[in-house]
Amino acid sequence: MELVHRENSQKLYIQLENIFKNKIGDKKWSVGSQIPTEEELCKIYGVSKAPVRAAILELVRQGYLMRQQGKGTFVCKRVISEGLLMHTSFKELMLDAGVGFSTKVLAQTVTMPVDDIDVKLNVPEDKHLIYLKRLMLVENEPVLLQEAYIPHHLCPKLLRDNIENNSLFELIEKKYGLKITKVKDYIEVVTPSADEIKLLGLSDCTGALLLEQNFYSGDTQIMYMRSIKKPERFRFLIEFERK
Amino acid sequence: MSKGKVAKDVMIDVFEFPHIPYWFSIRQAIGIVKKSLLGSEKCHHPMAVLVFDEKYNLLGTLSLKDILRGLEPKFLKPTTKAQVPSEDESGLSVLWDTLFDKGAKEAAEKPVSEVMVPAKFFVQPDDPITKAAYLMVHNDLALLPVLENKKKFVGLVRIREVFDELSSSILEG
Repeated sequence: MELVHRENSQKLYIQLENIFKNKIGDKKWSVGSQIPTEEELCKIYGVSKAPVRAAILELVRQGYLMRQQGKGTFVCKRVISEGLLMHTSFKELMLDAGVGFSTKVLAQTVTMPVDDIDVKLNVPEDKHLIYLKRLMLVENEPVLLQEAYIPHHLCPKLLRDNIENNSLFELIEKKYGLKITKVKDYIEVVTPSADEIKLLGLSDCTGALLLEQNFYSGDTQIMYMRSIKKPERFRFLIEFERK
Repeated sequence: MSKGKVAKDVMIDVFEFPHIPYWFSIRQAIGIVKKSLLGSEKCHHPMAVLVFDEKYNLLGTLSLKDILRGLEPKFLKPTTKAQVPSEDESGLSVLWDTLFDKGAKEAAEKPVSEVMVPAKFFVQPDDPITKAAYLMVHNDLALLPVLENKKKFVGLVRIREVFDELSSSILEG
């Protein structure tokens, strides 16, 4: 059995993530089956709950596992297509049809990684992050709510930049010299939070489209962005271009 | 007095302390405290979290004591005393114990803005250390923000540095 190595410089949760991935790949954990509970995994690998949880959350996010409230965690049929990798140039997330939209900055401040943001951004738990929250409006109608988390030490001055009229990508790439070399997108339908319902003017029962994006510069993850879109009227457009 | 030392000579960097926005719940703040203060090897004294608004202006500080106060049921909060002899009320804590599981979890959903200590007092970078000491003693503070032009938050003065400076001049005398 594969075990974690404490002398290994790789973080425990990443080691666990790889071990669990191999179990799924080798069909030791077969599709549809329930995996051991967090407590059992802690015992098996002799680790605490935090890295086990982080590894499981990461695999849930990547679409390998699925958590069912009150039942447990199960192995999914993979629906993520990895065949779409291309060398691309990309632009900031846009709203379709060339509509002119305005941006309202709701927050431009500093926070610590709350809940599982440390896992999503792959940073230590005590790292300061710049937190940006923006609402995009078309003809004064709110359509997209975007939150971004960026490690503060990468671009401390971003706190004072005008992000209402400037492209965030341009600032990051041109002003701070952080070339974005890779983006991972995850798209799903979610139940919006009370705050999101209010800001986007949604009715209670509707779902909303969530786009989660991880931005990398080389091997370093430089930003985690979460965009929630109103279900009707507009489409996401993410442009890829083969080079 | 003490060789003219001023606030900026002893202040420490704001990034020594965890930052959170005011809308975080007490529960979220507890998570941050556990990860960033209790679980870290950095030397944070006093243990406090800085609370900011959406434009990165300092609103207040949140200590471990403030968090515990936020979890306490309303009826245990001290009332303003009229001219009556004070009584020992520590027996009342039994009530908190019986209610803790349910009550405290509910209370933890309140935003931190309700329990933080608002940043009312501050010094300017060129203010003498005695001014910092005065404000800390009179307002029971262990941490005092340093604001430039009454606006830009540039650092924090802690009681230990203030004590260290002022006490040295006593011993040298």
